[in-house]
Amino acid sequence: MSGDLKMIEEVLSDSVKITLNGEIDIYTSNELKEKLYNIVDTNKKDLIIDCKELDYIDSTGLGIFVGALKKAKQYEKKVVIINLKDNIKKLFTITGLDKVFQIG
Amino acid sequence: MDTIELTLPFKAEYVSTARLVASSLANRVGFDIEVIEDIKASISEVCSKIVNIGSKVADAYKIIFIVSGKEIKITFCCEDTSLKCIFDAENDRLAIDIINALMDNVELCTSSNYILSMSKILEESI
Repeated sequence: MSGDLKMIEEVLSDSVKITLNGEIDIYTSNELKEKLYNIVDTNKKDLIIDCKELDYIDSTGLGIFVGALKKAKQYEKKVVIINLKDNIKKLFTITGLDKVFQIG
Repeated sequence: MDTIELTLPFKAEYVSTARLVASSLANRVGFDIEVIEDIKASISEVCSKIVNIGSKVADAYKIIFIVSGKEIKITFCCEDTSLKCIFDAENDRLAIDIINALMDNVELCTSSNYILSMSKILEESI
């Protein structure tokens, strides 16, 4: 079973963009963690997370975003999160992560 | 007032089932889309934590939805009585913040015969 999360990776000149489609919860989070950490470690570029098609994320997923940010900072790179839907943006605000990430 | 019970195994793949049921019931009460998303998010946080902890004596946990005209009350139960105060203030800060911000009458720790409870009250439109 492939789960309810699709991830499309696109390597750009000075960054890597990953587009997330579906839901991030306890079931799909391991897949996300492996993918995001691998992208950061392999490319050592800024990471852009496009959430245009992301319908849901839980605290596990938010924690993985934080982990990816910590990894990126080790390489002096940044993580930018774009196209958040309102229901997800609300979770970033509640948890204070809107001040931790660069949100576009 | 209606009571709907959902019994789920301690498996990650069924947390989305809890969200779907919650969405349907919250819609029936009359909550708008934004509040339905809040309820789904809160329920999912609890289910994820319960699944993460698991149980050595129980095969499943139960979510009881009590639906009335203006409120949905959600109680999480399990015959494994060791499942109490499941959230850790330090390690689960994100989940606790989300649940407390999005739901009403949150009871994360209880001495009653359930794990925890929360509710959402329908606000009257002006």
